[in-house]
Amino acid sequence: MEIHKTSWPMRILVFVLFIYLLAPVILVFPLSFSGDQVLRFPPTFWSTRWYSALFANNQMLKAFWTSLSLAAIVTVLSIVIAVPAAWVMTRLRFAGRDLLFNLFTAPLLLPTIVLGLAILIVFASFGLLATMQGLVFAHLVVTLPYALRVLAVSLSTQDKACEEAARTLGAKPLTVFFRITVPMLVPGIVAAAALCFLVSFDEVVITLFLTGPRISTLPVELYNYVYNQADPLVAAASALLILLTLGVIMIVERAMGLGKAFVK
Amino acid sequence: MSSAPEEHLRLQEIGVSFGNVNVIPSLDLSVRKGEMVAFLGPSGCGKTTTLRVIAGLNKPSQGRIIVGGRDITHLPIHDRDMGMVFQSYALFPHMNVSRNVAFGLQMRKVSGRDAEARAAQALEMVQLGHLSHRKPKELSGGQQQRVALARALVIEPSILLLDEPLSNLDAKLRDEMRVQIRALQQQSGITAVFVTHDQVEALSMCDRVVVMRGGNVEQFGTPTEVYERPATAFVANFVGRTNRLKGRITSEGVLTAAGQQLRSATTLAPGAVDVLVRPHRIRLQETADAANEVQGTVSSITFIGDLVQYGVRVDDEEVVVEEATRRDRRPLAVSDKVTLGWSAEDTLVYPAGEK
Repeated sequence: MEIHKTSWPMRILVFVLFIYLLAPVILVFPLSFSGDQVLRFPPTFWSTRWYSALFANNQMLKAFWTSLSLAAIVTVLSIVIAVPAAWVMTRLRFAGRDLLFNLFTAPLLLPTIVLGLAILIVFASFGLLATMQGLVFAHLVVTLPYALRVLAVSLSTQDKACEEAARTLGAKPLTVFFRITVPMLVPGIVAAAALCFLVSFDEVVITLFLTGPRISTLPVELYNYVYNQADPLVAAASALLILLTLGVIMIVERAMGLGKAFVK
Repeated sequence: MSSAPEEHLRLQEIGVSFGNVNVIPSLDLSVRKGEMVAFLGPSGCGKTTTLRVIAGLNKPSQGRIIVGGRDITHLPIHDRDMGMVFQSYALFPHMNVSRNVAFGLQMRKVSGRDAEARAAQALEMVQLGHLSHRKPKELSGGQQQRVALARALVIEPSILLLDEPLSNLDAKLRDEMRVQIRALQQQSGITAVFVTHDQVEALSMCDRVVVMRGGNVEQFGTPTEVYERPATAFVANFVGRTNRLKGRITSEGVLTAAGQQLRSATTLAPGAVDVLVRPHRIRLQETADAANEVQGTVSSITFIGDLVQYGVRVDDEEVVVEEATRRDRRPLAVSDKVTLGWSAEDTLVYPAGEK
């Protein structure tokens, strides 16, 4: 990285791009401390009333815990399913392997609205609407492709000779998997887990089809809230969500360095 | 040693195909107990593939592998009892040095304390006892290499397999490791197979050398045999350097090349031939007892320090001659007339066009 060699026009361009990308995110913070009744920038006076209102809103709190546990369950399941799947995709040679891999990662390319509708139709007949299981299954459809992609890339860059060395030293295939492959895959697993968690926690479109008065997630609740009234409570909620996201990313960074986890 | 050498490893009509490509057509080989054999050849000659077949990492499409009288062709990798050193060393990055070395022992259900002691002993053997708690990435290339060696040897494998173990080291370290690997192999009396594309490694470290090309064995012999009596022109070219002169053998059996009659220890059917002579076996000027003697003109001189390399124009061919540098003679200059001389034994003759 030779930042000092970047030319001035380039630096200005990058700066402008960053402002463009981050401005809405940064604006959320002053907005959340607004004392006004409506969303307006700049606020006429400051207060923390919308944070108080948020923490007094039982529906929001309930939705937050639903989202948190949903994201946790989805993340664990995604990793447990995607690690062996990625191993099969990268280590075994069989007819139709590429086709299968593309099929598994296809949801990444499909418009989520189409997925949402399809899941609604299928789940309706199984009685999975507005249930935790239903939400878990639906989110897995979205998170699994991410997990599979990240883990497959990690696995294919991993030195296969280590697995072969373990085999020649007397380890059976399953032992090699748990004692060599998986430990070597930890950076990839952390990256995939963080990605799954954030994707699940953020998911709105598909979730909209599957939630109802009985169960709802935080993003959906926020969406409904904004639909009905435009006060700065959502700004307070958004500010906290941004901090949570930063928290997850910092955990990954602490665990192994972002570059290592996401790039390789 | 030479009395009744016992066979330890036997490859019988081994063939390997990758998809439609037949990498090794049919290979037969026999390695004696306690000897170190080099598989030598250019990349793509099938040497690594053959090694991996022995380890079980590649499946042969035909043939049998027999170790110590037992057919192991269909034995799974983890039951084969091979100690393999990989080109990339393949140390487990998440385990420290000591755990890396103890891994094979754990797999053999050696108790924790025993495994630890034996791992420590193996690390002592490669002079790395003091680094047992380091992670592989905290070691230099040479140290990683020695850990890999200790890890392969500690399980007292039936065969030690080395896949280009020195190719990632710098020249000086390579020389040290050559000596050390050979010493360890001889101390433990283990049978070893050493894959390399470097003729110096093969000749200096191994009891016998298998020269391979295109999945076939070109020659299998001691380093001296392979160097002094190459079975084919390819072997002569690959193991050491050589001059190639166009020649022919007349119907009377007389060999001519470089515009004159030459004497050779090999006899061949009449026809076009290639005559091969190694650069350092040619004498300049002092040709008193040389069987072959030709006149030429010096066309280039390259000073390499301990050697001087002369390009000599003979007839219309260029011959390279190498001499140790010396002070007792007036140095030659470009366009000097010189006499080249060499013995009949150093005149290798092969059918023309053989590459």
